[in-house]
Amino acid sequence: MTLVVRDLALPLSDFTLEVSVTLSRGTTALYGPSGAGKTTLLELIAGIRRPQSGSIELDGRVISDLPPRLRRVGYVPQDDALFPHLSVRQNVFYGGAAKSGDIVDVLEIGPLLHRGVQQLSGGERKRVALARALVTRPDVLLLDEPLAGVDLALRDRVLEYLVRVHEEFPVPTVYVTHHLQEVEAICEEMVVLERGRVVEQRKV
Amino acid sequence: MRALFVVAILSISLPAAAKEIRVFAAVSLTEPLQEIERGYERAYGVDIVFHFGASSLLSRQIEQGAPADLFLSADEASVGRLGKLVIRRASVLSNSLVIVVPKDNRTITRPVHLLRARRIALAEPSTVPAGIYARKWLQKIGLWQRIAPNVIPTDNVRAALAAVESGNVDGAIVYKTDARIAKRSRVACEVPRAETPGISYPFALLRDARNGEAATKLLAYLSTKGARDVFAKHGFLIQ
Amino acid sequence: MTGEELQILGLTLRTAALSTLLILPPALAIAWLLARYRWPGKSIVETLVALPLVMPPVATGLILLQLLGRRGWLHRTFGIDVVFTWRAVVAAMMVMSFPLLVRAARVAFEEVNPRLEQIARTLGSGNARVFLTITLPLAARGIVSGMLLAFARAIGEFGATILVAGNIPGRTSTLSLAIYNLVQLGRDDEAFRLLAIAVAIAFLAVWTSEAFLRRTHDARRS
Repeated sequence: MTLVVRDLALPLSDFTLEVSVTLSRGTTALYGPSGAGKTTLLELIAGIRRPQSGSIELDGRVISDLPPRLRRVGYVPQDDALFPHLSVRQNVFYGGAAKSGDIVDVLEIGPLLHRGVQQLSGGERKRVALARALVTRPDVLLLDEPLAGVDLALRDRVLEYLVRVHEEFPVPTVYVTHHLQEVEAICEEMVVLERGRVVEQRKV
Repeated sequence: MRALFVVAILSISLPAAAKEIRVFAAVSLTEPLQEIERGYERAYGVDIVFHFGASSLLSRQIEQGAPADLFLSADEASVGRLGKLVIRRASVLSNSLVIVVPKDNRTITRPVHLLRARRIALAEPSTVPAGIYARKWLQKIGLWQRIAPNVIPTDNVRAALAAVESGNVDGAIVYKTDARIAKRSRVACEVPRAETPGISYPFALLRDARNGEAATKLLAYLSTKGARDVFAKHGFLIQ
Repeated sequence: MTGEELQILGLTLRTAALSTLLILPPALAIAWLLARYRWPGKSIVETLVALPLVMPPVATGLILLQLLGRRGWLHRTFGIDVVFTWRAVVAAMMVMSFPLLVRAARVAFEEVNPRLEQIARTLGSGNARVFLTITLPLAARGIVSGMLLAFARAIGEFGATILVAGNIPGRTSTLSLAIYNLVQLGRDDEAFRLLAIAVAIAFLAVWTSEAFLRRTHDARRS
């Protein structure tokens, strides 16, 4: 995939986000301290926020003037944002897609499907949120700190699932984190963001 | 409930001075009384405070203790039911009824045409004098049963006039004296006095008047030629 | 209850129910726009919507009388007769209870996490589907609570109603109007009977309304 961010600008409370970057690897880490603007950049790519100026191209297609539903971007936010009033099954298949048995299997959420969202553990919630985004077969997957809030003991297990997903469904992924170990475990490239600007981009 | 409310409000606003005469009067007497008020206040240096409304409602308020010195009613019943609360009375005036229609209405010219009307405004025909008079007349000429379903009852006779003035009803039965102030409606026909029940305006002095002396003088004045001329000027009939 | 009392109760409940149903779509639309967007003239709309809450009801009734009377815009444009009919009762109820429903619905919408709507959009939903599958279900309790309040307000409506609908036995005599009338006529005992019914209905409606809100807050805390 090729994700080209061109002169994207958005004034924030402390600084102005100004990003120009090209992502062409499978999995790219978006690394940086808290408040650097990583989540904002994901939101801009997903279409949840509009930039003041600049453009975004995905595989040659300009998506920055499209509404989120036409961008074919999968977004898993930091807080999962599972729909509390729907069952796990309804959450996972909200984006459509009848033939997603493989995603359900890889993430091993089959037994969870009939449950209510409130009955899931933290790790289970992450898997369900991931499945929900994958079901729509997006062109790019945006993960915002997927391991945040997960117990240390379970972190490895969730990481395992992420690796497995990466292998079975090679969707180009932008992976936001501020833990280097996650970067090294999964990502092929790393983009460092500091106060809204890209300060470094290198292979991992 | 409303009577108690009126009592509360009036009690708060009562000044200590005895130079004030409180007069509860039928709303159809508004114009002549206001004219008389101006001259009398200047001549005798008193302040007359009027409370206009349907005589039936005023009667209830007096009964429940609303402070009043004089009660100028539009029918005998409203005074009669006060019993011993009345210590003097005089019946000076009478009135007649008319059918009033919106200015642009051409369909009603005789009483029987009321049957064509979809809506006729009357002061509440079970309690308010103007409504009772109108109902009794309609009963007498045999139209009441058929007209009753189309009656819009109002709180008092001026509200009935307002309804026809606004064009929201096809006609109303009000006093001839009310029709004189009509602007957007006109008299379609008069109710013959022979067919109307006797309309009488008893004026009463109340036992619990706070300013009995001044009130008595005012009551006497209302029977003099000067006052009668004012009433006649406004269309009332002198008995 | 006597036949007459049943009729009064029936008329009151029917008109109040119809009023609440009729204001629901526009109230939801306006509440949604107020909750989610900023736009020029928004504060004017907010104020206009809130006006019937603070204006004297008879003043509102007077305005309605001008609009709905035979010489008014509605009759001249569509030929519909509203004043002095049950339609005027419904109209007065609609206007007076509208602000309450908008307020409750707006709060309910504002309490729906916008993040959920955003995610739904990335999953391919258009605005209509997001509203119907995410926003509305999550705001439902608050909206129902608002509807019950609006219903209670409609039942208690008096000042505007008496101006535009009069107090015509059998046709526009609602609970409040009937109580007023009975007091005027000196029939206090009957007035108190109707009063008891009115209080019972209002109590039930508000209590249920609060119950809906309570469950929403409890769910949120857990």
